Amino acid sequence: MLVYIFLITLMAALSSPIHAADPTPQINVGTQEVGLTAGYMLPHLLKGEKSKTEQSGLALMPSWMMTLTDPISDRWYRGQVSIGAEMVYIQFQEPILTHGVGFSPKIKYTFTAQDRIRPYVEFAGGPFWTDLAGKIPEQSSQFNFFLTAGFGVSYFLTDRAALNAGYRFQHISNAHTSRSNVGLNSSLPFAGFSFYY
Amino acid sequence: MKAKLSLRWTVIGCCGLIVTLTTGCARWIELRATADSSQESSVRVIARNEQVPLVVDGVGITRNGSPQNLSLETEQRVLGTLRKTGLFSHLGGTDSAEPPASEKFIRARLLFDEAIDPHAGDAAWKGIVISASMFILTPFIPLEYDYAAHVTLELERWDGQVKRYESQSAGTAHYQLFGTTPLMIDELKGHVTESCLTALMQQMVLDTTFYAASSAPVLDRPIRSVSVNSKRSKLTPVSISTPSGK
Repeated sequence: MLVYIFLITLMAALSSPIHAADPTPQINVGTQEVGLTAGYMLPHLLKGEKSKTEQSGLALMPSWMMTLTDPISDRWYRGQVSIGAEMVYIQFQEPILTHGVGFSPKIKYTFTAQDRIRPYVEFAGGPFWTDLAGKIPEQSSQFNFFLTAGFGVSYFLTDRAALNAGYRFQHISNAHTSRSNVGLNSSLPFAGFSFYY
Repeated sequence: MKAKLSLRWTVIGCCGLIVTLTTGCARWIELRATADSSQESSVRVIARNEQVPLVVDGVGITRNGSPQNLSLETEQRVLGTLRKTGLFSHLGGTDSAEPPASEKFIRARLLFDEAIDPHAGDAAWKGIVISASMFILTPFIPLEYDYAAHVTLELERWDGQVKRYESQSAGTAHYQLFGTTPLMIDELKGHVTESCLTALMQQMVLDTTFYAASSAPVLDRPIRSVSVNSKRSKLTPVSISTPSGK
């Protein structure tokens, strides 16, 4: 179902009118971005014998960002800083069908030296609730935190719409707010799109 | 008792959220007064038969020292401000044809030097702090964007005499994260530009008589003949033989 929603929204984005005359993105201070990203979470058992759960599942991440700076510097790392917030929904399909929801502030640095192809790095972290906890040995409490760091690339179809793809490393743990806190680590390749206004 | 406490915290939480969102959307523009700014009128209408046309010869725009493409919007704005002075009979942009040399008209050249300081590093650090606080600190951390302009206007009379006017203005947009919008920057630039142009026009109307048609005669520009000696060709002539009978 979520995949269908994602595909329908993606098609709507692609069918938006393309301003072929001026495809250069015009992103300045105050430009806002709304986006939807989807990915599939793949487990990493990083704590040796303590890590047993191979959790995997679909992740959906709607986000809002605000551009804080005009492009900084004239060198290869020329780019813009934006901050915002992101909702994370994860449907754990393995080991048990469970769900997780989180909210986090997010910070992103977009390299703007290229014209329509813009790589970026991002970092986010915030509270995360999941009913997977308690059903696996690694996590006992439903209230957790998640931290994510990753990189991606945006390809601007128009001056206001872009397709994104990238990779994130994700960590979920309860910051020792309760016992049993081995943590869940995963890779999250993702794809999505953004609108700028 | 427990229900009362939770209700109290809900009310406090809602009030906090409303205050954060309201104050977090604030923004205002601070315009710094320039030395030459005054309340004098920038309008001085002169008799119609004394008015001459003005043609914009060139508009140069630099931003933080680097040349920029000509902005039609800037040119239109300058023309609009010049029109308001009431000194000229007709105004032509850079794309309009220049009147014949035998007619009286004014040539205008404008240099617009912009200086922008978006405080990018500052904004980035503040953004990190705001993010780390889960946006709670948004109302307490203002962001800034500075814009300054220095405008030079050169007006050349039909007899070759040139008057030069200069003005400068600066302003800062103060804003909270949720109040950020590209329109805010446009508003700031608009205010600063308006302040500069008003100051220029105030200076210009002081020289009203200089631009009156009767202030100077049209220069006598006789048609000069220039003789040009053609260079002797160094190419050796090639004889062309045509078949007989043709």
